[in-house]
Amino acid sequence: MTQGRWRLAAFAAGLLLLSPVGPYDIKLFSTAAAPGARGAARLIPNGSPFGIGVTADGHASYGVRITAEKLPRPDRLGRFTAYVAWAATPDLTQWVRLGPARNGTSTVGPVELNKFLLVITAEADSAPEKHTGPTVLHGTSPSGWLQSFLTHPLFRGISQ
Amino acid sequence: MRRRPLALLVASAAWATPAVAQHPTHGMPGMAGMHDSSHTMPIPMPAGMVMMPGLVGLTPGVTTFLPGHGIDPADLPAARPGAVTPLDDGDTLDLTAMLLRRTIHGRAFAMYGFNGQVPGPLIRVRQGATITVRFHNHIDLPSSVHWHGVRLDNRYDGAVGVTQQAVAPGGDFVYTVRFPDAGIYWYHPHVREDVEQSMGLFGNMVVDAPDRDYYSPANSEQVLILGDLLMQADTLIPYGGEAPDFALMGRVGNVLLVNGEPDYALHAHRGDVVRFYLTNAASSRTYNLSFGGAPIKVLASDVSRFEHEARVRSVVLGPAERYIVEVRFDRPGRHPLLNSVQAINHFRGEFEAQVDTLGMVTVDSTPAGPDHGAAFDSLRANPAVSRDVDRYRRWFDTPPDKRLTLTVRTSGLPLATVQFMTIDTAYYAPVEWVDGMPDMNWLSTSRQVHWILRDDATGKENEAIDWHVKEGSVVKLRLFNDPRAFHPMQHPIHLHGQRMLVVARDGVPTLNHVWKDTAIVPVGSTVDLVIDASNPGAWMLHCHIAEHLGAGMMTVLHVDPATTAR
Repeated sequence: MTQGRWRLAAFAAGLLLLSPVGPYDIKLFSTAAAPGARGAARLIPNGSPFGIGVTADGHASYGVRITAEKLPRPDRLGRFTAYVAWAATPDLTQWVRLGPARNGTSTVGPVELNKFLLVITAEADSAPEKHTGPTVLHGTSPSGWLQSFLTHPLFRGISQ
Repeated sequence: MRRRPLALLVASAAWATPAVAQHPTHGMPGMAGMHDSSHTMPIPMPAGMVMMPGLVGLTPGVTTFLPGHGIDPADLPAARPGAVTPLDDGDTLDLTAMLLRRTIHGRAFAMYGFNGQVPGPLIRVRQGATITVRFHNHIDLPSSVHWHGVRLDNRYDGAVGVTQQAVAPGGDFVYTVRFPDAGIYWYHPHVREDVEQSMGLFGNMVVDAPDRDYYSPANSEQVLILGDLLMQADTLIPYGGEAPDFALMGRVGNVLLVNGEPDYALHAHRGDVVRFYLTNAASSRTYNLSFGGAPIKVLASDVSRFEHEARVRSVVLGPAERYIVEVRFDRPGRHPLLNSVQAINHFRGEFEAQVDTLGMVTVDSTPAGPDHGAAFDSLRANPAVSRDVDRYRRWFDTPPDKRLTLTVRTSGLPLATVQFMTIDTAYYAPVEWVDGMPDMNWLSTSRQVHWILRDDATGKENEAIDWHVKEGSVVKLRLFNDPRAFHPMQHPIHLHGQRMLVVARDGVPTLNHVWKDTAIVPVGSTVDLVIDASNPGAWMLHCHIAEHLGAGMMTVLHVDPATTAR
């Protein structure tokens, strides 16, 4: 990649990190393991002859474009060589490895969960079977913003 | 000429439901037996959901309508299944919209159909043929026939308010329909589609290419037209009289129909390859179809084959879209035709799997003859399609000529609806597969909800947009579905009389092109279309959710004849 393209990619990454959160955007938060790290992600609908990528049971199918910066070298956190992106159900019972992530832009996936946490961990290799290393960035899918109205005043007096 | 379907409806002499319902159970045809309570609705709510207290006792601010008011359904002819009607070039068909008796789950209703059939006659013609259709309106509403997807002469497009006046009850109209493109098409009225189409006025046209090997080989063909009805127990939910109700999300039925019937059945042999011609004639529902795990490949869509056949897990159809797929039933047994989606329970803030069985394919153990397994397993390329598309590729990367933003404006909605929707907008699914809040939706009419196509360049909206392009030009149109609207929702955008390519979605180029006339625009998405504006005339561009169209979401693309200067 030429220097000009690097600059353009860095500019685009900066725009993504600074851009307002939309219905396909995930803001990533850092942890004590890498407090200076920053990141964001965007869900990219997977290609389909129908224009909408879904599974046979109706789950939306997305690729995930992760933009990260100021991730330290993985080996500075321990015996790790790579960062890996995962999608986990909110109850953390199901983890799906999405692919390796790094500073700059990484496209991983697919993710085919209704609500999920996007988690980036440091790992011993780029394709581990399980997540074992420290979490450096994490966020919530836009669908995670869905909230229960069971106790909202709009429904006061209704019991289920 | 402006589109005034609502005024025409009110003017109809046959219009007959004068009382405005002040209470959910008063004065509504078909609602007898319902009772009121503070937590029940005269419309079905999703399982486990209740209506908001702030909406209790409210009704849409319009009168109600069901076909055949005052007529005993027993006095009407029983609907027959649609009959294959082969027509040759030059033939004439009489097509009569009429009242019929349809029986759904054992209960008889007065509904509509063409020529005594639901779906209407399955017109089968050769590519290049021209036929004459003498339309007779024998229903109790003004009507017309739109030949969806067919690149015919503009004056026969059936677009009420644009290409013709509505045909009054008892009136006639003669259409000349030419079929330049092979594939699957459909016809339906273009006035109060939310009522007439929903009540049974729809039918298919199969246009056969001269090449016998146009599609991969199959053992049999099935033409399936999908729809739904909204019922509470064994009663039909009436429609808005002067204006469509369910204007926010469109009417999403809870009884799913295939060819007008709730229990589709097909028998096949082990290994049979069945070619399905699929049409979504529902007002608002988007389908996600599968065949009990049987392998599927997609061959074609609205106006052409794909450049390459593709293996798919399911078939997604927005309203008005068509797909031609082949399915191989290689295991004996029962293969359900399923619609499987992830619904949102807005009350609990959770997704819930919803699976509806539309029908059943029963496969016996007799081997298929001939065995098309090898052909099914291979994915054909269609170089003729690619060569055709090649002529338009130079527009794929150019800036758009025109841009439309899809949005909505509301006024006068119930306070509880406004409050809820304002705080429930943190997340919107790209596609609303089901109606998660039917109470709010039912109460919204096109008097309160104004769906909008907004020209980014001028700020003009809907019919005020005055777009003219020259015949033979290529137009790149960018559609953006604004996620910050009061109620963002996917829109199946349909362009009459032309063909178009979806060349990119959200900046990602399409890799396998197909000519379309209808394309879904999910919430928050940007869709780039390249339009082959080769057919002169005034052509509607609109959302094909019937209630969104009824709430204003349409404009006209004028394709001026090449000889006319402007």
